[in-house]
Amino acid sequence: MSAFNLHVDNEIATLMFDMPDSNVNLLSISVMQELESHLDKLKSQKDIDVLLFRSAKEGIFIAGADISEIQSLNNEQEAHDIVKQGQMILSKIRALPFYTIAVIDGACLGGGFELALSCNYRISTQNPKTKIGLPEVNLGVLPGFGGTQNLKHLIGKQKALELILGAKMINGLKAEKLKMVDACVPVGYLDFKLDSFIQAVLDDKERAKIDARRYKKNLLERFAPDLIYHFALKEVMKKTKGNYPAPLEVIELFKKTDKLPMNEALSLEVYAFARLSVTEVSKNLISLFYASEKLKHDKFVKDGIAPQYIENVGVIGGGVMGGGIVWLFSKIDKFVRLKDLNYDAIAASFKPISKAYSEVVKRKRLTKREVELKMGHISYTTDYKGFHNADIVVEAVIENTEIKQSVYKDLEDVVKEDCVIASNTSSLSISMLSEGMEKPERFIGMHFFNPVARMPLVEVIAGDKTSDETIATVIKLARDSGKTVILVGDCAGFLVNRILLTYINECVRMFREGASIVYIDETIEEFGMPMGPFTLADEVGLDVGYKVSQVLEEAYGKRMTVSPILKEIIEMKLLGKKGKKGFYVYNGKEKHINKEIVSIQPRSRPYSKPEIIDRAMLIMINEAARVLDEKIIKDASQLDMAMIMGTGFPPFRGGLLKYADSLGIEKVHMLLVQLEEKYGERFEPARLIVEMADNKETFYKG
Amino acid sequence: MRERIAVIDGLRTPMAKASGKLKNMQAESLCAHVVSEVALRVGLDFDSYDEVIIGNVAQPAHAANIARVIALKAGFGEHVPAYTVHRNCASGMESITTATDKILSGRGEIYMAGGVESMSNIPIFFNKKMSALFEGLFRSKSFIEKIKTLSHFTPSHLIPVVGLMQGLTDPLTGLNMGNTAEILAQDFGISRREQDEFALASHSKAERAQKDGIFAHEIAPIIRNAQRGEIMVDDDGIRHGQNMESLTKLRPFFDKRNGTVTAGNSSQISDAAAAVVLMSESKAKEMGLTPLGYVKEYAYAGLDPSRMGLGPAYSTAKILEMTGMKMSDIELIELNEAFAAQVIANLAAFESKKYAQTHLNRTEALGSIDTNILNVNGGGIALGHPVGMTGTRLVIHTLKELRRRNKNVGLATLCIGGGQGASLILEVE
Repeated sequence: MSAFNLHVDNEIATLMFDMPDSNVNLLSISVMQELESHLDKLKSQKDIDVLLFRSAKEGIFIAGADISEIQSLNNEQEAHDIVKQGQMILSKIRALPFYTIAVIDGACLGGGFELALSCNYRISTQNPKTKIGLPEVNLGVLPGFGGTQNLKHLIGKQKALELILGAKMINGLKAEKLKMVDACVPVGYLDFKLDSFIQAVLDDKERAKIDARRYKKNLLERFAPDLIYHFALKEVMKKTKGNYPAPLEVIELFKKTDKLPMNEALSLEVYAFARLSVTEVSKNLISLFYASEKLKHDKFVKDGIAPQYIENVGVIGGGVMGGGIVWLFSKIDKFVRLKDLNYDAIAASFKPISKAYSEVVKRKRLTKREVELKMGHISYTTDYKGFHNADIVVEAVIENTEIKQSVYKDLEDVVKEDCVIASNTSSLSISMLSEGMEKPERFIGMHFFNPVARMPLVEVIAGDKTSDETIATVIKLARDSGKTVILVGDCAGFLVNRILLTYINECVRMFREGASIVYIDETIEEFGMPMGPFTLADEVGLDVGYKVSQVLEEAYGKRMTVSPILKEIIEMKLLGKKGKKGFYVYNGKEKHINKEIVSIQPRSRPYSKPEIIDRAMLIMINEAARVLDEKIIKDASQLDMAMIMGTGFPPFRGGLLKYADSLGIEKVHMLLVQLEEKYGERFEPARLIVEMADNKETFYKG
Repeated sequence: MRERIAVIDGLRTPMAKASGKLKNMQAESLCAHVVSEVALRVGLDFDSYDEVIIGNVAQPAHAANIARVIALKAGFGEHVPAYTVHRNCASGMESITTATDKILSGRGEIYMAGGVESMSNIPIFFNKKMSALFEGLFRSKSFIEKIKTLSHFTPSHLIPVVGLMQGLTDPLTGLNMGNTAEILAQDFGISRREQDEFALASHSKAERAQKDGIFAHEIAPIIRNAQRGEIMVDDDGIRHGQNMESLTKLRPFFDKRNGTVTAGNSSQISDAAAAVVLMSESKAKEMGLTPLGYVKEYAYAGLDPSRMGLGPAYSTAKILEMTGMKMSDIELIELNEAFAAQVIANLAAFESKKYAQTHLNRTEALGSIDTNILNVNGGGIALGHPVGMTGTRLVIHTLKELRRRNKNVGLATLCIGGGQGASLILEVE
């Protein structure tokens, strides 16, 4: 079956890209070969003035290369040859004896945009689905079909670097502004605007006008490109700490090709791609990309269960979490009704809501007018009046079983029959909370992470009696609000906190034994976590962490014993960043180690980095293995996604269990046995790890 | 007899002194808040409303047909129509009576009606000279021409036209509303002291009512500054511990030489919104709702614009005739306090046989107003008079107060700039 239809009408040829049996167009190896044969034939056709590249797919021009083909590359030479071939095919577009125009109405990404860059002209639409960019670095590689060079010449080094390093996907109007496309037209006008664009390209005078609008090199680009690279590198290092090779290769490539002729530059691009394509980081990022796509479409319940449509949301409790939840749902245009004990508490919760919105305005995602409208859709009350029309109510009051249960009782009296009642509890069992409810099937856990505005994960927890409709409704709502959702089993701490707290606890133990707070934080940050455990504990609030730890100790016993020193610290009224004093002392934007805390450390001894990392990570891996064994979560890849989204576990490592796989399960087992001997039974290898080590298995099969 | 119109429930925002706590909220935001809150508390599906009708006087330029803006902001679906009504100080009553007519004529069943005014946000305009200068500037093509146009500028170009003062001035007589109150004071020989005493009583009644939490039943608190986490819960116009001494000190505002009307014995300029849900009595019954009360009848009447303050006498004469009721049937009266002089003038007109004969085309006096049931919790002097909103507030307050007192029949009436009066007979049960 062919992926292209060629059609010539009045000297205007159209190569219509329409991959059979697919919703998208991808540049796979076979598609590229078919493209080549078309180009070879077209080359000698005399009756053509203009060739248009178009797509027959709705909302898609070309979504990019076939990622599975990149994923399967394991040999640098093979990667080189394949990409070189692709580059060569696209360069044949340039060599055609007539003008070429890419008509971009829909996603035009990666290899797709590289194809468009190989055309003489580009016209895009204002279709909201039109997204243009070279996001290859997100997959740990770089554009290899000439994209880096063609884009650089089209829009300048600085903008090209920004676009490629930021993996930005921008809309048609912005692309026109950046001169990535020569015109951007309303989608309804495309037909006749395209006709006149073609006429302009064919007219010498008009064409000169189009050409004159193109980007012109500025002084900085011409005389001090090193300055551009210097700042780009600084930015990349700040963001990635050098853990991701692709952005570094991109900058290096730009540097090296700064004054090189095109053919040599293109050849360097291929080598850089080949080097990156076989790295573990790229493999990890691609596997996460697939895991994330899979997770996005996982229904979690059996087919045929329709989620309820949510228009009105109630939120009980306007604290940090409640306020964040109010913000989130108002942002996606739900009508939100907040109930708190008194109007002062309500007023206080508007502060963070307004702050979260002003950050969105600052990033130009919303206008002030839009924000005013959305905020206007938040209503507030001190009683349950106006809750009868809520489609879902999210409870976010303090972590106290009796208080929560009395809220559910009140709610069941006022809400409608099919209203879902969700709890944002971070550790209490959902089945236990639902005891005494008239309709426990409508009850569910919906655990957001703090701060709600920035943390992308929501854990959905089904209790014994939670219905599939309830699960489907909550999952849809969380996804509509832009969050990644995992469905986890009902256990204390659920998934993320249960695993993460073992690690925080272990780090606190190391501190108790004499390790330096700053050194542990630095080591863990070098490992790739967004912040060290003590900084994180301060951010969350030590009292909050302590409370959850107690719940976990109660549920899991000895292996989760809270380090006694934590209690001491709480008694010293050191509660973390909110009180300006925790493991660190906070003074405006600065933070210093808290000497008070160091003074209660019984002794100090140096720890090596591997020692710290092993203890911190293995205790998590061990707990994760238990979680998996208990079927709290579907599989290793979902667990890894959850840890990345919920704790910022470094994506370049592919996830916690991927990291365990990369160490080797036998080694993990051996290290755990050693740690158990040294530090006691909390390191006792989980059943699953023992079994996997015996059978030489890995968390990721195949 | 026509069917009564049920007022299911009503709410208002707190009333804020103009250029004060609610100055940063535009009229549409104020009103949308109270409209959505009352709709939520009443509990009917937003889609079941036939229309949203809002009274507003200043009609901000940025929100033409402000009712539509309010409806959409409040959460009504796009298919629910909305329009704005204007009958000056009775705009907030006009929205209710318009809805009443629509319900009675079968045009629709369920209405959201209300009123709003953000007097803080009534703009100050450039004067004619300055506007002409701007026009000239836009027309000037060259730089030299522009300079030439600008050279005509004089300081007098900068004298502003204050929209608020313009709005409160009758265009036909050229009299400010305060001046019409001065005329009434002269007509009826009302002294400054009488006026100040009336004002003092208004404040002390309102102060007591606020302390007793009476207003809390009609107020929907409003977040007035989200950024700083500030909410407004209570009216802020009431002067706690107001006394004669400080009232006496004030200088007359409108007639600086001989006048008696001061800022202290006039209603306050303020910002607020109010809304009610309306349907026919039978519809309410059918839906199993317990209405707050009912609108039994309404009447508007016209009179000399320069004596607009006596409007309540005219419209009440009309409504009594229409219903065959007597003043003695009425158990609670809310007569809007635009000016103390104007309320006192009404007291005199109501009980005067001569006034009834010469002006109201009646043989007997209207009947005296029992001051014990008049504005029992204070009025516009203490609380404020956000022009487009007051009409709705009077209806809500009369009904809630009737219920509190276990009484049945109330009169809500106000005077209307331009020479009109409005009266509503309200009933509970």
